[in-house]
Amino acid sequence: MKTSGLFKGVAAAILISWAGTAGAFTMTPTPGIAEGLPPTSERAPVDPLVTNMTEIGRTTGKQGGELRTLVGRTKDARLINVWGYARLVGYTEDLELRPDILKDVQVEEGRIFTLTLRRGHKWSDGHPFTSEDFRFWFEDVLTNDALNPWGMPSFLLVDGQPPRFEVIDEITVRYTWDKPNPLFLPELAKSRPPFIYRPAHYLKQFHENYGDPQVIEDMTATYKVRSWAPLFNKLDDMYNARNSELPSLQPWVLTEEGDDRRIVFTRNPYFHRFDSEGQQLPYINRVVMTVADGKLIPAKTQAGESDLQARNLSFSDISVLKRGEASEGYKTNLWLSTKGSQVALLPNLAVKDPVWRKLNQDVRFRHALSLGIDRNMINKVLYFGLAHPSNDTVLEMSPLYKDDYAKDWAAFDPEKANALLDEIGLVERRNDGTRLLPDGRPLEIIIESSGESRAQDDAIELVAETWKELGIRAFLKPSQRDTIRNRAMSGDLVMAVWSGFENGVPTADMPPVDYAPTRGDFLSWAPWGDYYETDGQSGEKPDWAPANRLMELYDAWLASSTKEERAQIWHEMLQIHADETIHIGLVNQVRQPVVVKGLSNVPETGIYGWDPGSHFGIHRMDAFFFTEQD
Amino acid sequence: MSRHLPPSDREPDHYVNPEPFDPTATEKLTPEQERFYQASQWKIMWWKFRRHKLAVWSGVVLILFYLCVPFAEIIAPYTPNERNNDYLYAPPQTLHLFHDGQFIGPFVYGFTSEVDLETLRWVYKEDPDQVQPLRFFCSGSTYRFWGLWEMDFRLVCAAEGGSMFLAGTDRLGRDQLSGLIYGARLSLTVGIVGIVISMFLGILLGGLAGYFGGIIDSMIQRLIEIMRALPELPLWMALSAALPVTWSPVWIYFGLTIILGLLDWPGLARAVRSKLLSLREEEYARAAVMMGARPRRIIFKHLLPGFTSHLIASASLSIPAMILGETALSFLNLGLRRPSVSWGVLLNEAQNISVVTIYPWLMAPVIPIIIVVLAFNFLGDGLRDAADPYK
Amino acid sequence: MLYYTVRRLLTMIPTLLVISLLTFFIIELPEGDYISNQIAVLKSSGESASVAKLEFLRQEFALDRPFFERFAIWVGLWPGPHGFDGLLQGNWGWSFEYDKPVYEVVGPTLPLTIVLNAATILFVYLVSFPIGIYSATRQYSWGDYGFTFLGYVGLATPNFLLGLVLMYLANAWFDLSIGGLMDPEYIGEPWSVDKALSVLSHLIVPTIVIGTSGTAAMIRRLRANLLDELHKQYVTTARAKGMKERALLVKYPLRMALNPFIADIGNLIPSLVSGSVIVSVVLNLPTVGPVLLNALQSQDQFLAAFILLFVSVLTLVGMLVSDLLLAVLDPRIRLGGGSRS
Repeated sequence: MKTSGLFKGVAAAILISWAGTAGAFTMTPTPGIAEGLPPTSERAPVDPLVTNMTEIGRTTGKQGGELRTLVGRTKDARLINVWGYARLVGYTEDLELRPDILKDVQVEEGRIFTLTLRRGHKWSDGHPFTSEDFRFWFEDVLTNDALNPWGMPSFLLVDGQPPRFEVIDEITVRYTWDKPNPLFLPELAKSRPPFIYRPAHYLKQFHENYGDPQVIEDMTATYKVRSWAPLFNKLDDMYNARNSELPSLQPWVLTEEGDDRRIVFTRNPYFHRFDSEGQQLPYINRVVMTVADGKLIPAKTQAGESDLQARNLSFSDISVLKRGEASEGYKTNLWLSTKGSQVALLPNLAVKDPVWRKLNQDVRFRHALSLGIDRNMINKVLYFGLAHPSNDTVLEMSPLYKDDYAKDWAAFDPEKANALLDEIGLVERRNDGTRLLPDGRPLEIIIESSGESRAQDDAIELVAETWKELGIRAFLKPSQRDTIRNRAMSGDLVMAVWSGFENGVPTADMPPVDYAPTRGDFLSWAPWGDYYETDGQSGEKPDWAPANRLMELYDAWLASSTKEERAQIWHEMLQIHADETIHIGLVNQVRQPVVVKGLSNVPETGIYGWDPGSHFGIHRMDAFFFTEQD
Repeated sequence: MSRHLPPSDREPDHYVNPEPFDPTATEKLTPEQERFYQASQWKIMWWKFRRHKLAVWSGVVLILFYLCVPFAEIIAPYTPNERNNDYLYAPPQTLHLFHDGQFIGPFVYGFTSEVDLETLRWVYKEDPDQVQPLRFFCSGSTYRFWGLWEMDFRLVCAAEGGSMFLAGTDRLGRDQLSGLIYGARLSLTVGIVGIVISMFLGILLGGLAGYFGGIIDSMIQRLIEIMRALPELPLWMALSAALPVTWSPVWIYFGLTIILGLLDWPGLARAVRSKLLSLREEEYARAAVMMGARPRRIIFKHLLPGFTSHLIASASLSIPAMILGETALSFLNLGLRRPSVSWGVLLNEAQNISVVTIYPWLMAPVIPIIIVVLAFNFLGDGLRDAADPYK
Repeated sequence: MLYYTVRRLLTMIPTLLVISLLTFFIIELPEGDYISNQIAVLKSSGESASVAKLEFLRQEFALDRPFFERFAIWVGLWPGPHGFDGLLQGNWGWSFEYDKPVYEVVGPTLPLTIVLNAATILFVYLVSFPIGIYSATRQYSWGDYGFTFLGYVGLATPNFLLGLVLMYLANAWFDLSIGGLMDPEYIGEPWSVDKALSVLSHLIVPTIVIGTSGTAAMIRRLRANLLDELHKQYVTTARAKGMKERALLVKYPLRMALNPFIADIGNLIPSLVSGSVIVSVVLNLPTVGPVLLNALQSQDQFLAAFILLFVSVLTLVGMLVSDLLLAVLDPRIRLGGGSRS
């Protein structure tokens, strides 16, 4: 049996460090937990995840304290499960996949995944976490027609085939596909993971096959739902943090305290991570989220009402935040946004209008548009010159980065741009200098925006100014997300302004899903993405060679089994994007303010992103601690 | 009886006109009185209005503001969306007259900007050697007057190569003063459309209800009740969300004012109805009915003039509500947007209060709003007093 | 009187039906529904896995039916997927955004909404009553001009801006937490004196802000009414007979001039709700306003429709109450007879 050692080395390293410190490692009591719980050593797994804080560049902290933070909506309670970031496998700060809740993952031929749990690991209510919880999800939730009539999610399907699921023993399960499934592990590490395990002991009481019918009926009446399935789905919500009774594996769990305006989380006394001094993580005892209107959050943060805040703060708030630092005793750290581009123009390559379609698909036209943008000026006006003028592509910290990807066709060169436009044949001009389309219409581009981001709207104004020199008129049309998506799908959209690639820091192991027409909500090529998503049932087949090539590459990535293979695919895709300027990116690496008050172990600089990143998740929020405690 | 009479031999102790009584004589009117009694209703209103000093001055102020509407291009030193990359968030420049004790005429000192990387904001330094006298009746950057003619004539411009930001600039370096002048165009006019609609509906429905009574009256009464029961702002929001997003912002706003007009009539309709009810009972109206005048004629010829003045006053009081409504909508991101400029759009910059503490001049739009709303209110008060025949 | 009350209550039924139809229609005007919006959001954040769950809701809540059927199901005049289950049956609907029954969402916000509105009405009355009397009895004095001017400035400043500025100053000078109903540490805590004080101090700013816009109008009306009364014959007669000025004022004219205060109770409710939406958003107050705003924006239709309907009912009741009160207080008003003779 050939074993590819994707995680072997890592798991061994953890075991060694565990063994190495075993002499000094005694678990200390955890403050701030409910009384009457067993001692720490009985709550912890036999082999917990031990982190030597100095080895990851942090300091050993002190337990305790209550962290106040602000969120814009009650729904944002779910962020606790993003920030906590306890995943079966998760990314480190360097974006490497490591087992976390799992003790070990063995991958054979890229298609056989053997997951090993930590012996003695317990749910937040003290009940053991075992392979039964995986079985329960796979056999009783996922494949139950009443609970999930929609079939398997795509990350579990390879060529349309579901995996074979086996329980090996109490702490080992195995998923087997016939072909490699490179989507599986990255999916488990997402900020919103699929939770392929569920607290069976709790949920079984509401399940048709296990629970007491009388109890279920009473519960459906109390919750005003119509049958056991909606009741189950309502209570079984591992992500949204709405059911305080639902056992969890995350560092903080929802309490019954508080209400819709104030959400209180307390530490999970059975959490599986420890520091090397034997202190159970997380350091912080309680997290309190206060719901405030998004517009007020910068002002409230500036008034010192938050201990850790990044949500609802943006670059334009930095001057304000800096001003409050001295009087309120907080610090404004500037992290980097991981988006491929903060603002990107997306010409619709699948636009219905034949004239525009021909033009948008003409690489010279896109090059001219890109060359006609003064990215340095935009950087100066909107970002004090602190961002990076760049195409919409991977950032410097990504191992896939190459200079050309960021710089090709991104310099301000109106002369060359004009020459390119002339070359296309757009030589006729209206009396005010605006070029005319081949059919006599003026070259006026309506750029539609979601209307949610002022920076985007401002950027378009700056772009329009320099495009005027090319004889191109651009108009901003603030609209709404859904409307723009629908217009993209129907082919009415000519160009949109949006943020660039969500993941600007990919490694080769992350799926290049954004970079090919794989989904119906990508504005550059919505109908093509729809075609792919629905296997040709709807949408339209791409009629543009680079899109077809990107599709082939994406499919190749899905079938790949080695890292080298994937890196090669990634580079070819990025090169296509750089050559074709499919997205016209403006600037990236924009600073994200992170306000920190009295906390240690919060990095001064870091990347701030959703996936990968989970906001504070990969920066180990469980290791943040209060320096001064009262 | 007789003992009550004064004794005949004594002169009466009060004055008695010795002239004999002439039943055909009329009292002589002074020329002023004559003018007053013969003046038309409107003339009397005007005289009474003139006595209301505050209202008159408000009227003058409003006329000045309304001058910005047709002549914004000429009055404003810049065009509203003209940006200046070197002056982002520039503070207002003060006007000076004397430099080094010497009279120069209105001028500003030039200033330079740099980023303070510590606090991440723009810092401006005034250069006391750089005297930039303003130019009058000058040519600045070109604009299209009323969107038709290319011109560059202005009342006042910055010195050549200099700047003139008397109310500061915003985050993209756009002059606030020019924004305010151009903003008057939309803020002061578009709301009037809504008022016209609501007045039309109010008079029509209130008139029908008041004149005919019976079934029509009670139906319209129910309608009024329904309209008044719905809170305005949420309704406005819901309706504005229903307007097609492909419309341009100005059209959307135009649509909103029409919606507002459609929602705003019940108050007026009630007033019209009750006025009509009482006027209908007046003798002259009854006389008209008996002489066989048709309802249309009675309403428009006899009854309506009785409260036209009331209508004017109530209209002048609803305009400020429209102006304030526009700023509220902009705050909720439902109103106008750049590149359209209105006071609400400008004030939208001030909605982050902490930003305002760093750049206080972003609050400037609130000044004309307050002035205009006040002026309309005083004017309305004056008009109402003047229109009241019993004072 | 009784007859009149009953008749008014009966006419409210068709009125309510029309209002509910109207609100439902307006809410449904924008394209799409909550579920289609959520699906788009989930897709764009790469969470397609959760989309399926939402599709389920569409059938569950009969969103796939035609308009009138949906309306009838909502009101409870027509059987939905689970039989008759609408407003008439006591089911106030379901909020998608909160994933809770509507009454659980609206319920907690009601006490504060009522307290805030009551405080505002009280503020308007307390401020405008003395000022109105002062201005009328000392017409054209400096005090008259001064107060009137202040009232107008309050009216002329956009509410949201006034709210922001006052909130900022309250934080800077009195260290009041920015926005909210109380300092954060009291949220969810049991009631205590400190908590009540914290709530009271946070109510000052919104009360003033919402109140100022109503105060100016009220002062103006009171002043005008009182002036009218003071110029009437009976006042002159009473004065000629040597009645003291104070008694003269209080005995009759003031009672007449009070009418607008009572007549306005019904009117105040919708305008205060409208006014308090923006102020509540600005000041982050957990009243029903921001909930309504969010519900409208996210097309959480049953929640939005219910709140609109609820406010409408309140207004109708308010109008009825003020009409009845007027009849009790002012003998000149006859009920039921109408204006026709």
